[in-house]
Amino acid sequence: MIIDQDTLVLGIETSCDETAAALVMGGYDVVSSAVSTQVDLHAQFGGVVPEIAGRAHLDLLNPMVARAIVEAGVQPERIDAVACTVGPGLIGALLVGVSAAKALALTWDVPFVGVNHMEAHLYAAFLEDPTLQFPLVVMLVSGGHTMLIEMQDHGRYRLLGQTIDDAAGEAFDKVARFLGLDYPGGPAIDREAVHGDPEAIQFPRAMLHDGLDFSFSGLKTSVMNHVRKHPDVGTADVAASFQAAVVDVLVQKAQRAAQQVGAKGLVLGGGVAANSLLRERFLSACAESGIHGFLPSREMCTDNAAMIAAAGWHRLRSDGPTSLDTGAYPNMRLSFVQ
Amino acid sequence: MLILGIETATPQVSVAIGGHEGVLGQFEVSRGRRHAETLVPAIEFLCRQTDIEMSEFSAIAVDVGPGLFTGMRVGLAAGKAIAQALRVPMIGISSLDLLAFPLRYADRTIAAVIDARKGEVFYAFYRPVPGGVQRVTEPVVGSVDELVGDLMARGQSVICVGDGALRYRDEIDGGMRCEFAEQFLSFPSAGPLVQLAHARALREEWVNPWEIQPMYLRAPDAQINWSTREAAR
Ligand SMILES: [Zn+2]
Repeated sequence: MIIDQDTLVLGIETSCDETAAALVMGGYDVVSSAVSTQVDLHAQFGGVVPEIAGRAHLDLLNPMVARAIVEAGVQPERIDAVACTVGPGLIGALLVGVSAAKALALTWDVPFVGVNHMEAHLYAAFLEDPTLQFPLVVMLVSGGHTMLIEMQDHGRYRLLGQTIDDAAGEAFDKVARFLGLDYPGGPAIDREAVHGDPEAIQFPRAMLHDGLDFSFSGLKTSVMNHVRKHPDVGTADVAASFQAAVVDVLVQKAQRAAQQVGAKGLVLGGGVAANSLLRERFLSACAESGIHGFLPSREMCTDNAAMIAAAGWHRLRSDGPTSLDTGAYPNMRLSFVQ
Repeated sequence: MLILGIETATPQVSVAIGGHEGVLGQFEVSRGRRHAETLVPAIEFLCRQTDIEMSEFSAIAVDVGPGLFTGMRVGLAAGKAIAQALRVPMIGISSLDLLAFPLRYADRTIAAVIDARKGEVFYAFYRPVPGGVQRVTEPVVGSVDELVGDLMARGQSVICVGDGALRYRDEIDGGMRCEFAEQFLSFPSAGPLVQLAHARALREEWVNPWEIQPMYLRAPDAQINWSTREAAR
């Protein structure tokens, strides 16, 4: 089978708490993208409950696939391949998507391709800016990851730096919970910080001048210590100062990484990339340093199926279809070159 | 009319194809690779060996549980996807009905019992009737003690079937004298599934793929596993 600009891929994503389906043409052109978020179902528990996620994916996946096809205005027979996240993620959540995707591929008699969710995040930016060039540095910041990755070519990645303890999004969630803010913590802190002074409290910028790795667990601890020592401190000031500390480190390290590898572009990805301060500071830092920075839309930073279809198209081109006896791999990793 | 039957509610994966002529082919494994890895290749294999195209199915039958949540969802997700792609209806049948049906020639009450883990069982009682079985109690989840209490309360001879009955055979036997079905009948199977589904299909008792609902019988365990959740994002 020839994989080219006319190849229409259905992407399916069910790895965490978003049920999504999308159609992407030729690896770059988003024809339709449907996402249903389960945030409300999990909010009362302050985190994603795996069994609730599994049940919701089963209810929501068929409507999302139907919506993606209807919005694209194509006949299902036009679909050339089915791509689906096979890991990393919640096992019970992943299995719903993988089972459905393989069944669709079998029924339509088209190739199935298993996609690494992290690799898909790397491809999200290409869907909105196909002119991006290698080498490209991608900073992936989410609830589970904080990574600086050099994309040398399609499928060829080098890990430049990563968190040695908590992920940035994890720090947002934990600090929000500690401050009694809503779930999910990222948007809650973002909203609260608007009313606070980012310079009210000088929280530590861990490892700021020290390589390209990150550490956020000390920052989380100093937020907690500060609030315990000063019980009447304003929540908005704490949120704003905490957010400023995280963003400072992220922006500076991203700039340094791009300079070190002589990147032709710098891109943000992952759920934390929806944070307004990070978006603002990322763009101004790029403007200052003259690095070509690209900020994908919030929809493309958070989990969606268009990025799965795009990564699937590239994988299909390089490796061919994935066997139908593949399963789900909750701890799947991205493979890096040295 | 050809029906594809999918059964993944217990440790077994079972797939069958049937219609007016009865069961035309059946594939079944109860150990080894996991449900999601086995199911779709099993459907592909069965279609090839029976020389039937996917497009020939006019309904998809699925075991809707009760059973292992993750396993059930693998079968339901695949079944719903196939039905959606083929634009055909679905027929959902309970795992407990599937256990009781092969014992329809018994001369006594049938207790279908599935291991629900955590010391509990899913169960329901059935009575043999001409041509099949009739469920006489609603499917419930309960402790093994509750099952034994319900068995004793019936005060009549009962035959127990299912992996839950086998696992807790000693506890059940300690409460009252029961007969137990053969070990090979202890998992629901896709053969009876397509047989029962065919009867329903003739009466057009089917639903759209987005309407079919699994029978969980148990609220989700709301405990959050932070480590897996974080790995997931
Ligand atoms: Zn993600």
